[in-house]
Amino acid sequence: MNRTFGIGDRVTVKNATSMFHTRTQAYTRGKTGVVVEFRPDWVIPEDEAWGRDTPERGGREEPFYVVRFKQKDLWPNYTGFDVDTLETEVAQRWLDPAKENAK
Amino acid sequence: MTRTHDHDHDAHAAIQSSSGVNEFEVLEQAVRELAIEKGLFSAEDHRRFSEWAESIGPSGGSKLVAKAWVDPEFNARLLADGTEACKEVGIDWLDPTGVGTPSDYTYFYVLENTPTVHNVIVCTLCSCYPRPVLGMSPDWYRTPHYRRRLVRWPREVLAEFGLHFGPDVEVRVHDSNQKSRFMVMPMRPDGTEGWTEEQLAAIVTRDTMIGVAQPKADWTATSSPSAG
Repeated sequence: MNRTFGIGDRVTVKNATSMFHTRTQAYTRGKTGVVVEFRPDWVIPEDEAWGRDTPERGGREEPFYVVRFKQKDLWPNYTGFDVDTLETEVAQRWLDPAKENAK
Repeated sequence: MTRTHDHDHDAHAAIQSSSGVNEFEVLEQAVRELAIEKGLFSAEDHRRFSEWAESIGPSGGSKLVAKAWVDPEFNARLLADGTEACKEVGIDWLDPTGVGTPSDYTYFYVLENTPTVHNVIVCTLCSCYPRPVLGMSPDWYRTPHYRRRLVRWPREVLAEFGLHFGPDVEVRVHDSNQKSRFMVMPMRPDGTEGWTEEQLAAIVTRDTMIGVAQPKADWTATSSPSAG
């Protein structure tokens, strides 16, 4: 799968449900952050959970990203300071371009 | 600090588990016994591996940080490729199984603290932790209490560890939810000028590499707290 986001792109995590297993945290869904680093193509956890942990076993590989969120964008009434952030890794399938600069 | 503590303190009572075995323990035991019956490894192999894996402490991480503090080129290598740089202090993330055990995955990133960014690690989904460099995680790191609160109220949780930052410092939480494992590289404290790597490594304690503490020139993890 081709990498569709670049460093600095604003992305929104899909507000999707997971049928069985995912590692995309509920608290990030529907939230917008910025791509700060690339990760390799990895088999998605949605496949790994079924024993499809390699491409040979049917695991789908796709690009992963480190997404940085402003804490105040993640949580209502965040009690820290505006500068605070949270980073986590997200598979490409869970990301959409953020609406304000949709491609 | 956050251990559950729900048993009675009857000095004469037999020591017993309060909760029994859970389904994952049953599953592990079943798979292990099948593997032993099949001859994949012996019970003693399993015991030796467990003893070895559980004896890994945070000294590898301390060495990495101390070496990075005194050697800017190593620092650059460590930040660029954590897994590869670990080999320079004798830690191979693929040892001994070739697939990353005792860590589950082998992507390792070191997070450098600066005067304006303080990093802290957590795994909200389970308890992912850079075991080859820090050993087994502390009990509190694995509790839902730490995991769910650190992402939501990081400054309050850090304050409970005695750590406070003003609005000029970005507190950056790293939720290790996928395949990467993280370790914090704390800032070298004042008062350590001219120290050897060994001296420096002694003050780089486990908690400073999780990000819930900062190293101090006059404190090591093996100092008795009463001495201060």
